[in-house]
Amino acid sequence: MPSFLHFCQWLYNTHLSTSIRESVWVFPIIESTHVLSITVLVGTITVFDLRLLGVLMKTEPVSGVARQVLPWTWAGFAVMFITGLLLSISEAATNYYNPAFRIKLVLLALVALNPLIFHTSIFRKVEEWDLAKTTPFRARMAAVFSLVLWAGIIISGRMIAYLEKP
Amino acid sequence: MRDSTWAFAIVEIGHLLALAVFGGAVLLVDLRFLGFGLRGQSASKVAKELLPLAVSSIGVMLLTGFLMVANGPVRYYFNPAFRFKMILFVIALFFHFVLQIAAARNRQARESLPFRWKAAATISLILWLSIGIAGRAIGYV
Repeated sequence: MPSFLHFCQWLYNTHLSTSIRESVWVFPIIESTHVLSITVLVGTITVFDLRLLGVLMKTEPVSGVARQVLPWTWAGFAVMFITGLLLSISEAATNYYNPAFRIKLVLLALVALNPLIFHTSIFRKVEEWDLAKTTPFRARMAAVFSLVLWAGIIISGRMIAYLEKP
Repeated sequence: MRDSTWAFAIVEIGHLLALAVFGGAVLLVDLRFLGFGLRGQSASKVAKELLPLAVSSIGVMLLTGFLMVANGPVRYYFNPAFRFKMILFVIALFFHFVLQIAAARNRQARESLPFRWKAAATISLILWLSIGIAGRAIGYV
């Protein structure tokens, strides 16, 4: 994909990319914000996934947990996405070659599919199993996929810095 | 662990994974005290339901954190960000868990909580946030 590589190199040389990369404090601040927003996102989605798996809040309706917890998940996602975009712009040309970054992008694409499928299929009929201690198989599968994929994203995200070639 | 290329990375990733779970659990408890988030359940119930998650994830963080420090204790000893983090951590650990366990036991903690609970939840959030920032700063200072 040489044209995409060219795009990454162009991005790497933009003013925005260079100024983030070369400043002393901007990169760490964006990076810390990125990690904190991941905490909000993954921590809250974990609580929801554990409800789907029947581990936590078994007496609370699934739809109730979704309504109360998921807005915080989305807020975390928005901040994570923006800061993550800035971080990848600042290191676009080096990230292009980074295997951890490539794996992370694939996992992110997969994790985006998960709520898309979940909310358009089994969650549509949530009133049928809202109070069930054992939720339908597909809902439990969605929860397991979510937990595994987000863990994979955190692992590959941290590995980016370890596999970065100077 | 110093001699291995990947041992430190694996322990650090374990620390981060536990952080994600712990941060979310603590956030939801403190938000409930403030009157946001899981409003459908009493504050007492939220504190009780999320206690096992918070305790188990902080357990993993303590273990992995200890292993990372054991990797180079002298280096950490002189790191100002590390000292700051440890002081805040001891305070936050007692403050937050006394608060959460007290709430879990208090059946009276209903819909709207008195001001002192909200103040305590705010302090807890600020403490954990500072610990996260100080933790990241260890690598920079």
